[in-house]
Amino acid sequence: MLKIENLSATVGEGEAAKTIINGLSLSVPAGEVHAIMGPNGAGKSTLSYVLTGREGYEVTGGSATLDGQDILALDPEDRASAGLFLSFQYPIEIPGVPVMTFVRTAMNSQRKARGEPEISAPDYLKKSRDVARLLNLDADMLKRPVNVGFSGGEKKRLEIYQMMMLEPRFMVLDETDSGLDIDALRTVAEGVNALRAPERGMLVITHYQRLLDYIKPDKVHVLAKGRIIKTGGPELALRLEKEGYDGVLAEAV
Amino acid sequence: MSAALKDMIRNPTVAELELVARYAALKADPRRERLFEAFALTGLPHRRNEEWRWSDFKAAVGALDASATPPADDPLASEGVATLKFTPQGYVAPAFLPPGLRLLPKDEVQAMGGAEDAPLGALAAALSGAKNAPATLMAEVTGETPVRLHMVFSGPGAINAARIMFLVRPGAELQVSESHLGGAAFSAALVECTLQPDARLSRVVYQRGGKGEAQAITALIHQEAGAETKQTVLAFGARVARIETRLVHQETGSHATLNAAYLAGDGYHVDFTSHVRHGARACVTRQVTKGAVVNGGRGVFQGKFHVPRNAGQQTDASMQHNALLLEEGAEVFAKPELEILADDVQCAHGNTSGQLDAAQLFYLRQRGIPLVQARALLTEAFIAQALEEAGIHEEALRAQASAWLAI
Ligand SMILES: Nc1ncnc2c1ncn2[C@@H]1O[C@H](COP(=O)(O)OP(=O)(O)O)[C@@H](O)[C@H]1O
Ligand SMILES: [Mg+2]
Repeated sequence: MLKIENLSATVGEGEAAKTIINGLSLSVPAGEVHAIMGPNGAGKSTLSYVLTGREGYEVTGGSATLDGQDILALDPEDRASAGLFLSFQYPIEIPGVPVMTFVRTAMNSQRKARGEPEISAPDYLKKSRDVARLLNLDADMLKRPVNVGFSGGEKKRLEIYQMMMLEPRFMVLDETDSGLDIDALRTVAEGVNALRAPERGMLVITHYQRLLDYIKPDKVHVLAKGRIIKTGGPELALRLEKEGYDGVLAEAV
Repeated sequence: MSAALKDMIRNPTVAELELVARYAALKADPRRERLFEAFALTGLPHRRNEEWRWSDFKAAVGALDASATPPADDPLASEGVATLKFTPQGYVAPAFLPPGLRLLPKDEVQAMGGAEDAPLGALAAALSGAKNAPATLMAEVTGETPVRLHMVFSGPGAINAARIMFLVRPGAELQVSESHLGGAAFSAALVECTLQPDARLSRVVYQRGGKGEAQAITALIHQEAGAETKQTVLAFGARVARIETRLVHQETGSHATLNAAYLAGDGYHVDFTSHVRHGARACVTRQVTKGAVVNGGRGVFQGKFHVPRNAGQQTDASMQHNALLLEEGAEVFAKPELEILADDVQCAHGNTSGQLDAAQLFYLRQRGIPLVQARALLTEAFIAQALEEAGIHEEALRAQASAWLAI
């Protein structure tokens, strides 16, 4: 489903451009959940921005395709309409735009791009209520401006709310666990697991093994210095938790 | 035309000569003469006049032929609200007047305080009273229930000069909405309002002129003890448009909220100028101006608070102007000025101009919102705060802003 081959990318402009992703290859088949773990500064968030097309991140080599479609050639909004979703490590505040307006606009934009009819107001409200209930989100929160004045945990839950509303085909979750207490973690994981499906794929970026107790990955990749240096099953995450990254990093050299 | 009249303005332009001729054709009146002289001191204001350096009417107003563009649509009009129309031919009073409102057409010109400080206001007053129109339209507001009035200023014609003076009696409330829709090559409107103790004014102004038109909207507001004004303006500009508010806190405990938003497209110029004098103790002013400008558009903000040494103690005033330059080539000029001579005051001001936040734009686009729509959504949110106090008109103003942004 998602296929990344020998991807290289720089961050920054002109002279200051730094290569952060350096020959990265990775493949997530439909129906699978893969985890990416790695030390701070390894390039995990950079990978998520390169995939979603953030400005300032330039691809210098390699390819990334979603079901065979070259996503790197698309504008960010077209990647989103193609079904790519990023749960941000640091969700952005949008003063003056209520969550409701934001998500409905996003949903209808995607539908329009795909040639589908808009969602009706009652259908939207019903869906929103169901999702909010599952995630333990206060209805009042959805009337407030996006992320403004939200706690760290609320922001992460709102990311998952958006994901469940938009029902993307491929999800990248960047450190969704950071800032969550154990109850919130469980709630969020429940939401994520609800989206697991044979036609969907997921890339879960995390620093800690903890999240993977709740979202069971099919594979675990270790990202360091801009490439995948090791791939294994869920037991690899446990080993990293116990031994830290140093051992695995040393092995890979 | 006598030599004396011709010499009133130095090196007059074609348009200025026409203005002199119009003045000369009106009924002679010493007050009218004083007002026209106040205008003639500057003539059509231009960039060498300090207060007008970014809004050059002399250059913008060519020959005063009828405008080529029809007036804009009126988003504030509503059934059942008395509507007063000002056209180049005079004024049309509403068929019925709300209780508490009395219109008093005056054939004599009324004096205008500070005419020299507002040359285009003085011009509007000097030229009002053409043909069947009164020289000055006065309106008295009384009673316990708020009085609602809608005023429309629109062409077609060459010059639309209008003047109305409101007197709001103690404790009474006026809710006035104004649509300045253009259609005349040059329009100059003067709205004056005296708020007697504990009187209230809510004023909502919608301005939208043509690309070849010049518009000057001048408001003079006088507040007595405990009076309150809430003003919201949404302006799209014209070839040159100036929206000027001069407000005096005359007695203690008076309160003013002056909000404005401008959206300047290619070839449009919007100028917000305000002057607030804290002439009495413990008066409050809250001012928020938000603007967004595209390539070829121009926004001007000149805000001044004047707080005299003794009279202005315990002033509480804040001024904020934030502009978005939506494209390269957009221009915004801002001059916030706090002239504070009293020592026991709270005065704050903020002034920014910049671009839309790249991180916010990316966030919206990552959710599938196309760039153009993402920009519009963020810009609308940006100016929304300035429209928040427009009450029943907030929605109509937001709809206009949002339609403009959607293009
Ligand atoms: N905008 C940027 N400009 C310059 N360097 C950046 C920028 N963003 C990230 N980096 C650098 O790229 C490296 C990888 O960062 P990131 O992808 O955020 O790491 P991770 O998410 O794995 O902790 C770090 O060394 C970081 O300093
Ligand atoms: Mg990161």
